[in-house]
Order: sequence, then structure tokens, then C-alpha cells
Amino acid sequence: MSMQETTQKSALLKRNKKFALLAPGVIWMMLFLVVPLCMMIYVSFWTQTTFSISSDLTLKSWKTFFASETYFGALIRTIRLWLIVLFLTFIIGYPAALFIGQFVRNKTTQTVLLVACVIPFWTSFLIRVLAWRPMLGKEGAINIVLQKFGLIDAPIEVLLFTELSVVIGMVQIYVVFMVGPIAFMLARIDQSLIEAARDLGASSWTIFRKIIFPLSLPGVVVGAIFVSVMVLGEFATASALSGRKVNLLGNIIVTQVGSLKWAFAAVIGVVLTAVMAVVITLLLRVVDLRKEL
Amino acid sequence: MMELEGLTKFYGETCALRGVSLTIEDDEYLTLLGPSGSGKSTLLRLIAGLEQPDSGSIRLNGEDIASLPPHRRGLGIVQQNYALFPHMTVFENVAFGLRWREENPVTEEAEITKRVDAMLDLVGLSGFENRGVGQISGGQKQRVSLARTLVTEPRVCLLDEPLGALDANLRERMTLELRRIRDTLGVTFMHVTGNEHEALGMGDRMIVLDGGAAVMIAPPEQVFDRPQTVRVAQVLNAYNILQGRVHEGRFDHAGSMLPLPPNSEGAMHYAIRFDAATIVPPDDPTALIRATFITSEFTGGGVTYFLRGPDGVFEVERHLSRADPQVYKGGQELGISWAATDALAFDSDGELIVSSNMRGAA
Amino acid sequence: MNQPALRILLAVYIAIFIAFLYGPFLVMGIISFQQGPEGGPQFPIIEWSTFWYKHVLGLAPPTRVAPLPIGEALTRSLTLAFATMVVATVLGTLTAQAFRTQFKGSGFVFYLVVLGMMVPGVLLGLGMSLVANQLGVQRTWWGTAFVLHVVYTFPFAFLVMLAIFNRFDQRVEEAAWALGVTPMRTFRKVTFPIIFPGVLSAMLFAFTLSYDEFPRTLFTGGPDVTMPIAIYGTFSVEIHPNLFAFGVLTTLFSFTLLTIYGVLMTASIRRSQAKASGIQEDIE
Repeated sequence: MSMQETTQKSALLKRNKKFALLAPGVIWMMLFLVVPLCMMIYVSFWTQTTFSISSDLTLKSWKTFFASETYFGALIRTIRLWLIVLFLTFIIGYPAALFIGQFVRNKTTQTVLLVACVIPFWTSFLIRVLAWRPMLGKEGAINIVLQKFGLIDAPIEVLLFTELSVVIGMVQIYVVFMVGPIAFMLARIDQSLIEAARDLGASSWTIFRKIIFPLSLPGVVVGAIFVSVMVLGEFATASALSGRKVNLLGNIIVTQVGSLKWAFAAVIGVVLTAVMAVVITLLLRVVDLRKEL
Repeated sequence: MMELEGLTKFYGETCALRGVSLTIEDDEYLTLLGPSGSGKSTLLRLIAGLEQPDSGSIRLNGEDIASLPPHRRGLGIVQQNYALFPHMTVFENVAFGLRWREENPVTEEAEITKRVDAMLDLVGLSGFENRGVGQISGGQKQRVSLARTLVTEPRVCLLDEPLGALDANLRERMTLELRRIRDTLGVTFMHVTGNEHEALGMGDRMIVLDGGAAVMIAPPEQVFDRPQTVRVAQVLNAYNILQGRVHEGRFDHAGSMLPLPPNSEGAMHYAIRFDAATIVPPDDPTALIRATFITSEFTGGGVTYFLRGPDGVFEVERHLSRADPQVYKGGQELGISWAATDALAFDSDGELIVSSNMRGAA
Repeated sequence: MNQPALRILLAVYIAIFIAFLYGPFLVMGIISFQQGPEGGPQFPIIEWSTFWYKHVLGLAPPTRVAPLPIGEALTRSLTLAFATMVVATVLGTLTAQAFRTQFKGSGFVFYLVVLGMMVPGVLLGLGMSLVANQLGVQRTWWGTAFVLHVVYTFPFAFLVMLAIFNRFDQRVEEAAWALGVTPMRTFRKVTFPIIFPGVLSAMLFAFTLSYDEFPRTLFTGGPDVTMPIAIYGTFSVEIHPNLFAFGVLTTLFSFTLLTIYGVLMTASIRRSQAKASGIQEDIE
């Protein structure tokens, strides 16, 4: 075989092997991720009456969504809640990640601390959400403790069955998703960088601002994406802790599906997808994730 | 015997190797000298089959092996970073090829033990069989890597900068060791390096690679005494290379008129080896150029003097066995002299102008 | 950074942080000892008792409180998690292996895979339900839910393996080939043992995510429920301390599992460290 032929033949063989490696994953995702999403977009244009649904295309469900106070309001509320939770998980999670990633030098302690953050996960998410009820209620643990220490006279009522309780619940459950990626990136920072900066006379704040924080940014972005994905799609926490008062887009989808209003549920789904897409694109602008790995 | 013909390799737009052809004999120690970017690692990888050439052929004893994958070529490679298997002991590393190779794997444990022990003894690592790979020093890792390859009795053993990471002392010892091991086994070694001392000191034959092309193939003494091209002289890091042109039978270098070897009319470059020049008082009649002293470097067996000549830095090397080291003051005016017969002239293409009565350095 | 004041401040912060994370656990733990069967899931504790633990384990006398469908639902969750773990890790490893060299369209594949973990469960569940309706396919935990579990966990396994392969030095593989060992066997004897800790992490990740997965399963799980769905079922109805007893038990169980995993990992790392790094430091 000539040189050209062997090179071509081996190139073809390599391409086939690559194809064989990628095909299963790609096919799986196309079938079970892309198709359902496309279906959802398609169905959002279907005609939905109280009792039946047909595949005639119409914009009616869409108009209903944007025209309605309740539904549009749910969109606003979802976005607002997402921003609050994102902000809080960042503020609360970053110092914790800083401690684990930078201040704890012993690798074992680092792992132990991270594991301590992960263990809560192994108890069903739903049970953990429910566990907040006896904590936040009028006769809940927090009120009991605060009253015992004489810090308040009357129980704080606003803790349970309000938007605040949903925020508290969500922050507590999702903050770990912030801490993990950020701690990971922080631990990867070469100590000699920081020592060199110190030698050059930089203050701690400058070191943080110019070295530590920028290097942790990919972790912040990943954490933000995780938290956003979970919060925007949330409905269980809202349902458990707000007593039906807080209706997020996720809740509406669930109720609509419950009453078989598929087209409308699909509309909300598409709206949610659009919000998600915008959020993720914005976050990915900040950092190119592929390089960081 | 291995024949490489017209090997060419591009990485995108960059040409790493252009038309390299050479013959590798049986039972020889071949060194390949090349500065960074000369393509020397690429050449090894092509021969080993870890990359495919864009054109050219590789024949081993007449058989075309270019179409064979690396595990079927019967060659051995000792890589720059040793690439020992981290999850295995020294013994398991060395035995790996014998046990698991596709062709003629050794199935009897007793046979494997025998061969591995013999090889470890040859490289001087008896007793290290059960050490973990993370518990041995750099030099020892290199010997394990060597043993691992040689125990499979390859037809040619390729070594990629094998002495690069070793300290000078160890490097000298390994230089002798490698030669001894190779001579004992009779395997052809192709030893690639960027270090001119290594290349000159170890090979039966030496190849100089530059810019992806093989610019000279000859025994080391010949390469050192009569570099084929200006580029080879540069790569050797042993020659002062002066620019200028011929004027009335002499070489005009920035005003200094230098004696030429006969028949060197078209000379554009003039080379004089570091150890062929001597420093003389500035008004000495034998002084060919004048220079000011910059600094000197004590190299153990000799001294290297750095002077500023009419057109750049001029190096003179003096071996201390010849005389007491001379001491000069910074800025001191001095003269440099050499015998006309020690000078080399190169034409406008950079090729050496050969004349019948040339001889080597003093 | 070694500022002592900052260090103490942050240490205190972390202590509060962990208290914040574990607060509900404490409460859950306390209430699980609530008196049963009349006691409710709130303070005060009327009387300390282990009634609800017995209830969870099916050992209590029958009351009007429906027992949690632990046997079946738990088995289903575990089976589903195990199957998801296997499929997701295999897919993740294969795809990451392909990414070891550049290829055209790698950006597309990368984001297609990663998309699976960026789409909220509600949406995927909804979409899959619609597809199932349209095709007349029944919703089952081992069918429609299973495929979504893999969609969710495969990207995680993929990213873990990608990171592992990025740190993997290909030259050991090349060394094995040059010794005459076929690529297949090289993978089994050289590559896999070295990347194994990573594979283990990917598997653990996938298992955990699937075990507690809820929104996707809610829409596509069909009539036979998994554990999280069973628990969700009690949301709208009254909740009882048996849930918390169950929570405590699962926490203890997972704690044990993690400890075992930790021991395995440390043993594996220690073993490979003893024979570790035969790789020369960079010459520079």
C-alpha cells in the first residue's frame, strides 16, 4: 500500500472509532433530551379546550399566559425568587468555600468538611424540606430557642408559610451547590502565586481581589448554573413551605399537568426554558467552561 | 537495518520534518543532535509509529513498517519522562512487555523471572524488584525504563533525551553505562538529544538535525572537525563564526584581514574553533584581530574566555593542561591569533569549502 | 493565606454554616422520637418514644397512619439508581474517551451532553410525558423515568471522566504500545487501573443523583412509585413523624455508605501512591 493510502486508511479507521465512541451518548441525548424539549415547544402551540386537546396550531395559550396577572405574575415571582436565592447562596456560600479551599491545608480535613456538606444530600431532599416546617412555625424550634433566650417576646410569625420560608428552605438546600465548585477551584490555586504576591507587598484584600476571586470565577459560574437550574425549576419547596401561597412557574406546570391542560403547561415550560437559556448564556459569557477543565 | 526515506511531517501549517532520509545500521550507536524545534522528537515518534508521516517510507530489514501500528513494529522507545506504570512495581514494569505483548508473550513465570532478573542486573538494579515506582530516584527510573524496553529485545531502541533530567554527575556515569549496555546486547541505539556533548561523546555516527532536515551525517570526530555547513558549526556550539567577504586573497572581517585556506574565493563565512584560537598581546605580530576582554568562565578542566571582537562576542577556550590560566582585566585590549590551516571557510550557501590540506584543530 | 484573625473569623463562620446545614437534621432527629401514633411532626414533644421507628420498619401495630411503602419503593429506587449509575458511567467514559483528541463538532457534542444537567427536571418530565402520550407509550419507572435519569446523570459522569482524562498522561499508554501490547490490553492493564478512582467517583455521583431524583420521576414514573415520589405523596396529606424517622435512618445508612466509599478510596490511593508516580519531573 502506498504511503497516501495507508494514511488515508488509518484516518478513516480513526474516524470510525471516534464515531463509535460518541454515537451512544449523542443518540441518547438526542432521543431523550432534544426530542422531549422540541415536543414541549410544539405542544405549546396546540389548541386546548377545557376537555380536549388537538394539534391544530394556535397562539391562544400563549396569549392567555402573558395576558393573565396570575401567570405573568408567577413568572416575575419566579425570577425574583431566583435572583434572591442566587445572591444569598453566593454570599453565604463563598466564605465557606474560601475557608475550605484556602484556609484548610490538610487534605483530609478538606475532604471531611466537603463530605459533611454532601451528607445532607443522602437524606431525601423532600424530607429535608419538610424538616423545615417544625423549625419555622409559630411553635417551631427557632421560635422556641429565641424565646427561651429572651431574644424575642412573641413568636415570629412570618417564618413559615411565606415567601421568606421558601427562600430560607431553598438557600439551605442549594447553598452546597455553590460551595462545592467554588471550593474546588479555590483549592486548585497554586499557593506560590499568593506567596509571591505577598512578597511583592500586596495586601490581603488586593490578593483576594486580583488573584483569588478571579481564579475562583469558573467555580462561581458553575455554582450559579447549578443553583439557577434547580431554583428556576423548583416547585416542591415552595409547595411544602409556603402552604400554596407561593406559586412558581414550576408549581403551575405541575397543577396544569394535573388537570391535563397540556398545551398550557407546555407554554409555561417554554417560557421557563427561555429564561433558563438566557441565564445560562449570560453565565457562560463570564467564563469559558471548556477551557477550565 | 532500518531505512528512512523522505520522511515529511506537517503540523497544520508548520513543517516539522522535511524529507529526512537516513540508514540506521545494525549494532551501532547513533546519536541525533538537534536544537529545540529541529524535529528530533517528531522523527522518533514517526519511527515508533506514534504518529503518521505525511509522506516518506520506513523500512526495517526491507519490510515496510510505516503501515504498522506501534505495537507491531518490534522497536523499543525510552521516553523523556520514563513513563513508568505508576501502579506497578519495578519488576512488574520490566516484565510487562514480556507478559502482555501480542507476539510471543512469555507464558512461563520462571522464564519471565529469569529474564527480568538478568536485565535488572545488567542495568545495575538488582534488588530493586519489589520497589514501588515512586520510591526510586530519577536515575533509577531511567534505568527501569531502559530495562523494560531492552528485555523485549527490540530490533532498534529509540531513546528520547534519556539523560536530560539527570544531574551532571549522574549524566556522565549513565553515558558510560548506556554504551556498556548497548555494546553487551548488540542492539542499535538511536539516541536523540539537544546536548552537543552527549551527541558527540556517545555515538558511532552522529546526525545533525536542523529545521526539520538532516544537515550532516558522519562520525562525531568528523562532525566536530569539519562541520558540513555553517548551521552545523552553530549547533555544535564550538565555533566562532565570522561574517565578511574575500578581498585580495584574504577574508575581510570588519576591517581585519584574515588568512584564508586555499581555493576559498567565494567565502562568505569564516569559522575558527574556540580551542583553535589563542590570546596574545595586542601588538603581537601573530594577532589577527583585536578584541577587548569581557569575562572568563572556569569550566573545571579549562577556562573559556569571552572577548568583544570587531563584530560580536568571540570565545576562546583554553585547556589548563597546556599552561597556567591567564588572568585578564575587564576591558583589557588583547589580540587573538590562530593558524590559517585551522580556519574553515563557507560559501554563500553555507557549505564548507573543502581543500586538500585541511587538518583538524590543534 | 495565613492571617490568623481572618482564619478564626472564617472558622467560626464555617461552624455556623454547618449548623445552618444540619439544623433541620437536628430537628428531624428530635421529632422522630415523638410520641405516636397521635403525636404530630411539630414541637413540643409530647412524650419520647421509638414508636415511629417501629412504624417505619413495619413493626408497629396498625394505625390510621399509612406506612411508607418502603419495601417496594425503596427497592425500585435502588434498582433504578444502580442501573442509571452503570449506564451513565459507561456513556460518560466512552464520550470522555472520544474527547481525548480534538475533533470537529466537539463543541456541539460537549454542550449537547452538558445540556442534560442544565435543563430543570420539570421541563424534561413534561416534555417526556408529552412524547409518551403522543406515542402511546406507557410511563414506567424502568422505561420513561429511567431514560431521563440517565439524561440527568450522564453529563456529571462525563465531566468527571473528562477531568480525569485531562490529567492522565498518555505517554504510559504509548510506552505500553511500544512494548508490543495491543491497545485493548493496554486499556485493561494500564489505563483503566489508573483512572479507576475517577470512575468510582463518577459512579457515586450518578447513583446519588438518581436515588434522590424527584421532578423527572414525578412526571414519568408511572404508577409504581420510587422512594422520593412516595414521600411526595404524603406532602398534601398530613405528614407524620414517621417520615422523620425514615429520614434519620437513611442519613445513618448513607453515612455508613460514604464511610465505606471513603475507606475504599483511601486504600486505592494509598496503594497507588506506594507504587506511585514513575513519571519524571518536568525538565525545565
